[in-house]
Amino acid sequence: MLSIKGLFCGYNGVDVIKEVSLDINAGENISIIGPNGSGKTTFLRAVAGLIPYKGSIKLDGKEIVQMKRKEIASKIAFMSQISTIYFSYTVFETVMLGRYLRMKGGVFSEPSKKDKEFVLKCLDAVNLTELKDRQITSLSGGQLQRVFIARTFAQEPEIILLDEPTNHLDLKHQIELVEYLKEWSQKGRRVVIGVFHDINLAMQFSDKILLFSDGQVAAYGDYRTILDGDLLKSIYSIDIKNYMLNSLRRWESYG
Amino acid sequence: MLISFFICIIVILAGIGIGSVPISPADIIVILWSKLFGKEIPPEISDITVSLIWKLRLPRVLLAFIVGGALSASGAVMQSVLKNPLASSYTLGVSSGAALGAGIVIIFGITIPMLGRLTLPIIGLVSGLLTVFLAVTFASKVDRNMENNTIILAGMVFSLFINAILTIVSSMAKGHLERIVFWQMGSFASKDWTCVIIMAFVVAAGIPCVMSFSRELDIMTFGEEQAQAIGVELKKVKWYLLALSAALTGSAVAFSGIIGFIDLITPHVARKLFGSTHRYVVPLSALFGGTFMVAADLVARTVISPSELPVGAVTAVIGAPFFGYIYFKRRKRG
Repeated sequence: MLSIKGLFCGYNGVDVIKEVSLDINAGENISIIGPNGSGKTTFLRAVAGLIPYKGSIKLDGKEIVQMKRKEIASKIAFMSQISTIYFSYTVFETVMLGRYLRMKGGVFSEPSKKDKEFVLKCLDAVNLTELKDRQITSLSGGQLQRVFIARTFAQEPEIILLDEPTNHLDLKHQIELVEYLKEWSQKGRRVVIGVFHDINLAMQFSDKILLFSDGQVAAYGDYRTILDGDLLKSIYSIDIKNYMLNSLRRWESYG
Repeated sequence: MLISFFICIIVILAGIGIGSVPISPADIIVILWSKLFGKEIPPEISDITVSLIWKLRLPRVLLAFIVGGALSASGAVMQSVLKNPLASSYTLGVSSGAALGAGIVIIFGITIPMLGRLTLPIIGLVSGLLTVFLAVTFASKVDRNMENNTIILAGMVFSLFINAILTIVSSMAKGHLERIVFWQMGSFASKDWTCVIIMAFVVAAGIPCVMSFSRELDIMTFGEEQAQAIGVELKKVKWYLLALSAALTGSAVAFSGIIGFIDLITPHVARKLFGSTHRYVVPLSALFGGTFMVAADLVARTVISPSELPVGAVTAVIGAPFFGYIYFKRRKRG
């Protein structure tokens, strides 16, 4: 579905991503992990066609850079990290904006019944049905994050790119979201690519892990092969395995 | 929403009725009715009253209403496009460009043959638009993505630079200083039907154009990256909307001088009352802005009658505290 070859990209002429090549197949979920500044977000932006790049990113055989915005957005939804909200809308209105390309009626007409039902379904998926008439400025960070996730669903894409989708969520909602995303992608042979800081959650979300280090792919494959050896330790410059085992011991002794 | 319309009509009637010669609302309605449908005016209303209304007060009030509407609609657009609650067309240098253009026309006494009396407003409009165009082009050259902060900064740089030139030019032509300063303060005095009709056309074309972008405007308030990811052709839409709202402000400034604050406050009031959806924000900002402008003009011409206050000062005197109240009250709650 996505085929990336010799990708270089960055900002103001400085490459953040340096020569990345990989393929992603339909129905596959990918967790991206890596230390701060390793190029995770930049990689997502390039795939979403939001920044210029050198090399090639092909979506179903078509080069992203040659596609129109509308064409990309009908296939790829991208949720960036939350930024300040200046003007408030209701939860329902916000998710409805995701239907931008799908809405048939003119600007002055109400959204169709089909669009409204679809939005309600998306809200239901993130447990927000009860809050649908609330103003988004009155929501907590986690609720807001779920609103934006619902908006990516409303876009009906084939690929969803999520930049740290779980960073404002409590544990219950993190796990629920990860489970829902898995179900969503399996149902229609779709793809979810998510950036995670929590390595445990990443492994729960997908078998396949993409590990970035300094703008390059340090590892790409099943998490079982990545956990093996000293790779994570050297990239994160901390003994992750030992840290996790210590936590586990605490739970076993006192939990 | 009906209440808003109602208040608006009352304010307009008050604007027409109150003045050195007070006229009752009933008489106004009779006169307007007869004029519009070509009926005889009842003999108990004097000819002077009729011409006072038809030739002086009505065009003035209507112009104030339309200019207020144009400024406010364009303010709403600028705030959303630039994702900045303090932005307005003035941020991008429309007013300073227009002021420089007008200043040059006044100092050199230029009259373009075909335009005659309209030379001043039209040069004002053109130079205002030119400034925005230069500022945005500059922004897009230094920053290929045309990010909002770049646009705002470029606008500020251009405005400040042009203001400085205007100061230099007017200091060298002291004889015209008073006229230049008065032009900049804004006024609706001695405007006739020509101005009203031209402005009405601009607004009748501009506001529906802006409204057809309601959905894009909604999406753009969530940030540029998200707007693109949802499928908005950001750069194109941005250029188009900036140009539209600059044209609305530019023509308003051209006819009435620089009247501040109204474009800043009314969109906030509209959002507070009816939510942020642009389908409502744009037309309601225009309605509120028009009403507010008529009221401000009424104050400007009656408080120290028979002389007048600059209406721009009145909008700022009422507007600044009002804006502070609205804005910070909301902050506390949120």
